[in-house]
Amino acid sequence: MESLVQHLSARWSLGPWGQELLAAAAILLVAALVFVVALTYAGIITWVERRVAGRTQSRVGPNRVGPFGFLQWLADGAKMILKEDVIPAQADGPMFRLAPYACMLGVFTAFVSVPFGQLLIAADLNVGILFLLAITSLVVVGVLMAGWASNNKWSLLGGVRSAAQIVSYELPAGLAVLVVVLGAGSLSMQDIVRAQGGAPWNWFVFRDPFCLVAFFLYFTAAVAEGNRTPFDLPEAESELVAGYNTEYSGIRFGGFFLGEFANIYLLSAIATSLFLGGWQVPGVSPAEQAGSVWLQLLGFAIFFAKAWALVFVVVWLRWTLPRLRVDQLMGLCYRYLIPLAFACLLGTSLLLLAVVPGSALDLGLRLGTTGLGALGGALFAWRVAHHIRRAGDRVSLDVLQRGARGAFDPAWQTRRYGAFRKAARGQEER
Amino acid sequence: MGALASYLRAIGRTVLSVGDGLAVTFSYLLRAPVTLQYPDRMRVPVIELLPERSRGMLEVDLDLCTGCAACDRACPIDCIALEVVKHAERGRLIQRFDIDLGKCMFCGLCTEACPTGAIRHSHEFEGGTGDVRALVVPFVDAPRQPAKAKQEPPPAPKPLGSILRARMPGPWDRPRPPARPEGGEHAG
Amino acid sequence: MPADPGLVERAWSLADLAFYGLAALSVGCGLYAALSRNIVRSVFSLLGTFLGVAGLYACLAADFVAVVQLLVYVGGILVLMLFAVMLTSRIEVASRSNRYPGLPSTALGLLLGAGAAVMLVALALLAPWAPAEAPLPYAPTTVELGRILLTRGLLPFELLGLVLLAVVIGAVVIARREEGGR
Repeated sequence: MESLVQHLSARWSLGPWGQELLAAAAILLVAALVFVVALTYAGIITWVERRVAGRTQSRVGPNRVGPFGFLQWLADGAKMILKEDVIPAQADGPMFRLAPYACMLGVFTAFVSVPFGQLLIAADLNVGILFLLAITSLVVVGVLMAGWASNNKWSLLGGVRSAAQIVSYELPAGLAVLVVVLGAGSLSMQDIVRAQGGAPWNWFVFRDPFCLVAFFLYFTAAVAEGNRTPFDLPEAESELVAGYNTEYSGIRFGGFFLGEFANIYLLSAIATSLFLGGWQVPGVSPAEQAGSVWLQLLGFAIFFAKAWALVFVVVWLRWTLPRLRVDQLMGLCYRYLIPLAFACLLGTSLLLLAVVPGSALDLGLRLGTTGLGALGGALFAWRVAHHIRRAGDRVSLDVLQRGARGAFDPAWQTRRYGAFRKAARGQEER
Repeated sequence: MGALASYLRAIGRTVLSVGDGLAVTFSYLLRAPVTLQYPDRMRVPVIELLPERSRGMLEVDLDLCTGCAACDRACPIDCIALEVVKHAERGRLIQRFDIDLGKCMFCGLCTEACPTGAIRHSHEFEGGTGDVRALVVPFVDAPRQPAKAKQEPPPAPKPLGSILRARMPGPWDRPRPPARPEGGEHAG
Repeated sequence: MPADPGLVERAWSLADLAFYGLAALSVGCGLYAALSRNIVRSVFSLLGTFLGVAGLYACLAADFVAVVQLLVYVGGILVLMLFAVMLTSRIEVASRSNRYPGLPSTALGLLLGAGAAVMLVALALLAPWAPAEAPLPYAPTTVELGRILLTRGLLPFELLGLVLLAVVIGAVVIARREEGGR
């Protein structure tokens, strides 16, 4: 970008002031672009969330606005903007207004150093991953601010819970990230991606068993930091109404909401860059990739697919697991995640000393760990098949048998319901 | 050593149970949703899917009604307003037979009390209206003579719901939405 | 600064603007923290100070220090202070939480503050700043920092680690519930 600015200023023969202004305009443009991308992703995740929730519960989910209900998030956004923004009389006005911005700032600023592609990164900081960990801690302050300023017991309890949770889970997340940093020897996101390869056994997640564990540790801790179910105690609606955003309405609530959903993409993108090889295309070296536009796009698509797969996992987790209790939450963090993270750190350090990179042992370790991961995947697939079989005649695998479109055919649904009625009637008669 | 073993066992159990839970929900993702998208995405109207003996809104076939008022007495919440008057020349006349469907709780006591089966449950259930008074359905337009208890030959039975449909504005009067393309999920 | 001829010709650049903006943010928020009667707001306004200082570090190309400033002060210390303040009972009553401490204490505080300020300004003026001949390349500072920490600064580094370990053990001992106790 700097070279572009220099090129343009030379071409337009700008003075020093013009150059500065051009640079500032370029920075603002990039910032706005990042912001819009983050907002769009956050909106789309709300749609993914509702669709997955629907199918998990044998419902359809939003399907009226646009194809497959895809534009639902735009409609929701418009609704939120048009709603009244209520500020309680007893609230601390300025702080109440400021809190959503602090939350959004923390999440959306972090998007700046997410490597969406080899050349698609707003700012490749030397301390990128550390910056990501640091800037997201602004969210805590925003949440506490909201909790305090609302002047409401549920809000305050939610805010304090959230702060305790985020501060605690930062430790295992940071330690798991450190495992990767040890392997890459750099804090820069792009260097970390470059230190990996396109093929799965060259990813950090499958470098050795400790890294595999560290991936799950990071993922769990990041989900907890994002206040997602099963760690959504700060907003536990069955206990705290809506936690720290109880008193919020309209677009201020939307600010928290979007921040939270953008955070899902953020954590998935970070996990993808750190553990899953980021934008690396299998069989293509970064130097080769830099030279070709198509390879660039392919790299972006690969990153995109991996990150959205992880987003799906986060959403899927939410509709699977029940909420933890507060003591279980802290117990999980301090008794399990942190000791495990330390063990991983130690193990990886020892392996780094013992195993020469590129040696047969190194390759064996990588392939072995990849095999472990594949084994886990196979086990999972077997369990899914088992549960499908177990459900017996209650299940119709129409997605597989009839194609995805048939699953939503209302006529077919109606016929099926009729058949169900007939069968029930037949049973009654017998 | 026991403590360490139970610690590790706890980790193993957690991982396995979370994985199995994820497998259960994933298997649901592969199943079809059971939702019927009432009312505008039903190829067959819901009313045709209802069980035969389901209790919909009440209707009265006055060709069968003897004006005995057994239903009126049986009704626990007085939603039936039945007036029978004595006329000098024409004898007994049913002057009024209104049923307040807004009050009716679909208990079915009136249909059990009726000796001729004149009052019965139709399958209609879509009685939404903008005015609660529209739910009071009159079944008598002009004073008429009650039917005899035994008629020879018995009058032809009327299709279920046809009497009510004729007397009450309802969704059956509204234009039907155009049929959607086969399998299309999204709105047009 | 005027000794550097390269900077004289352009009196104001965006970097200067950023510097003065961040400095104003830090000082303004710091003043608000000191003068506000609402102690919760005081703590929250420290957020601005910490962010401003982190920004100043970033302006000095000290990326690692800037990020650690964020990580430690915003993510750790500020939250800790907020916890302490919020969990105190009747904290919103200014006459209890933010009492005027009396003239002698105020005078002593002002004196100490002025002393510190004088010392800092004197240090800044007297220190033998060696201006670099050429502008330094924008290079990562992490490697050099790590090297210094593990060679020249190893002893204080390890001592600090020991102190922190002692603190952790102390916290666990204090928080531990006796067997069979409440």
